[in-house]
Amino acid sequence: MVLTGRVQIHSRRVFLGVVAAGSTALAGCGLFDDGPEPDPQPDPLQPLLDEALALAGAYDRVIVATPNLAARLTPLAEDHRAHATELTKLIGAAVASIAPSASAPAGPTDTTATLRKAEQAAQKTAVAACRAAPRERAALVGSIAACRATHAEALR
Amino acid sequence: MTQELAAALAAEEAAIYAYGVIGVRLTADDEVSRARAAEQEHRSRRDILVARLAELQASSPPAPAAYELPFEVTDREGALKLAVHVEDGVAQAWRVLLPVTADAERADALAHLTDSAVRATRWRRLAEVTPLTMAFPGRPVS
Repeated sequence: MVLTGRVQIHSRRVFLGVVAAGSTALAGCGLFDDGPEPDPQPDPLQPLLDEALALAGAYDRVIVATPNLAARLTPLAEDHRAHATELTKLIGAAVASIAPSASAPAGPTDTTATLRKAEQAAQKTAVAACRAAPRERAALVGSIAACRATHAEALR
Repeated sequence: MTQELAAALAAEEAAIYAYGVIGVRLTADDEVSRARAAEQEHRSRRDILVARLAELQASSPPAPAAYELPFEVTDREGALKLAVHVEDGVAQAWRVLLPVTADAERADALAHLTDSAVRATRWRRLAEVTPLTMAFPGRPVS
């Protein structure tokens, strides 16, 4: 009845990543100097990270506008911040701010109904990302997709 | 992958057993019908897993005749708690399949993970347990 999953760490992949980074550094030294380096491709999970931060911010704004929803919505905003933290670790990106924004930026304020719609759209993004993800990322992205679905349910 | 499929099968078998116990302790019509619908869903997934394992020519171990429940279930509160526990466990089993599957098969595993996570959220709401959600459904809680 008690079920446990296993986490696999692909150390070989990490090692290859380091080698790749080393060769980029060499290229920067001018040994293979043939023009400016192209912009690095954004990580395929970058849109998922952006969405997590946007959703967390949207919840924050609703909570500021309607404080009596705080107890209900804060845990959902926290879930998105937890996703952002994990995705940031995975991508290795610098994130502007994951912390709750005390002063909510101006803009149309969402309602629980629009938040629910946003969660459903975000779930679709995550489902597609899970399907496209390499195996070592599939479980994390799958959990994020499932979590977004539970948020839509919690907002009913 | 057969190992992961067999684990998912064991989780679904356990869920079917648990919903039998849960159904006895629920009285409200909507809760009883939710439990029945959940049991039905777990049964159909069990059947699909048995067929898939046969297709891979892997033996599916027979389900045990009885299970030791993680806690005693004597009333509605215990039944709802068990329902949450069971769906969390099933979600974990399907999540393990994500890295070892691709394409449609991975999409199915994700659909089942999601379904169990959403079901767990519904049972938490009925049990008035907060928070209703967890950040990473299916990730084993250490």
